[in-house]
Amino acid sequence: METGKFKKKNILVAIVIVALAGVGLVWYLFTEKFGDTSKEAADFTVTATALISEFKKNDSAANKKFAEKIITVTGIVTSIEPADTALNLKMADSTGSYVIFAFQQQHIAEAKAIKQGDKISVKGSCSGGAYSEILETEFVTFKRCALNQ
Amino acid sequence: MKKATLILALLVTGATITAQKRTITSGIIKFDATTSQDALPRAENKTVIAAIDPKSGGIAFEAIIKSFSFANPMMQGHFNSINWLDSDKFPIATFKGKITNLAAVNFSKEGIYPAEVTGDLTLHGIVKPLTAKGTVVIAGKSIALTSAFTIKVEDYGISGKAIEAGKVNKEPKISVAVNFN
Repeated sequence: METGKFKKKNILVAIVIVALAGVGLVWYLFTEKFGDTSKEAADFTVTATALISEFKKNDSAANKKFAEKIITVTGIVTSIEPADTALNLKMADSTGSYVIFAFQQQHIAEAKAIKQGDKISVKGSCSGGAYSEILETEFVTFKRCALNQ
Repeated sequence: MKKATLILALLVTGATITAQKRTITSGIIKFDATTSQDALPRAENKTVIAAIDPKSGGIAFEAIIKSFSFANPMMQGHFNSINWLDSDKFPIATFKGKITNLAAVNFSKEGIYPAEVTGDLTLHGIVKPLTAKGTVVIAGKSIALTSAFTIKVEDYGISGKAIEAGKVNKEPKISVAVNFN
């Protein structure tokens, strides 16, 4: 009799714990935000020209390899483009194919200090690349970027 | 001599065509499918390629789907998943169209002009006609184009439990801001 009660209580406690964990997990998933990219480890470290040529060679293979990965890219800034109140930095190769970086809110100020011609290293989430029919060049885009300092 | 003139003529024509068509690679498209139940489905893409040809009124956009940046990782995952935009299979969205009231927009005079754009939007591998109202602002050498409109997700073969349950707006707001500077 006593052990039966004890078992029932245990089962009840277990159910409550599982339910709480479930609620906690859902709450976590819905409130989670992307962390600061500068604190994340890079999956790949490449030069801008090597990254562009890999996409040019075979962009579906390159998309599989690089999309949604954190990548550190080194190269020379060939242009700086305003985007809303922020800006994007771009590294183009000799043919006009390019990789472009949109910065995370907390890293916009440091990106604004960069000048055309500067050799920099940027870490960000690669959104993949495609062939642009408008520009007739390959382009690779990044989001949530931070400057490696 | 004739050859030289011809080459010169070709060069000049080429230069004029290039001068007419303007392109940028930092266009902005925002997507907002939030509802009273869920504030998460919203994102922006700041690396959109855009082109405008003031002479013909032609307008074109190219946006990589994975470039839409969300605050919430789970929602970004849903957006790109096979159930929604399936961005592995359909990595890019495009729009090709033209300004239909071109006579009302004077590209060589500073001012604010209401514009209407009609064309084809390709999203999730599905092509549908789209008409949107917008504004063209001419200031100095820059041409700024803004537009806000809604699309029906079902037109583009996008459905799912979250959409049916009213957590995701069936007619998300899309806003476009491009500045050919």
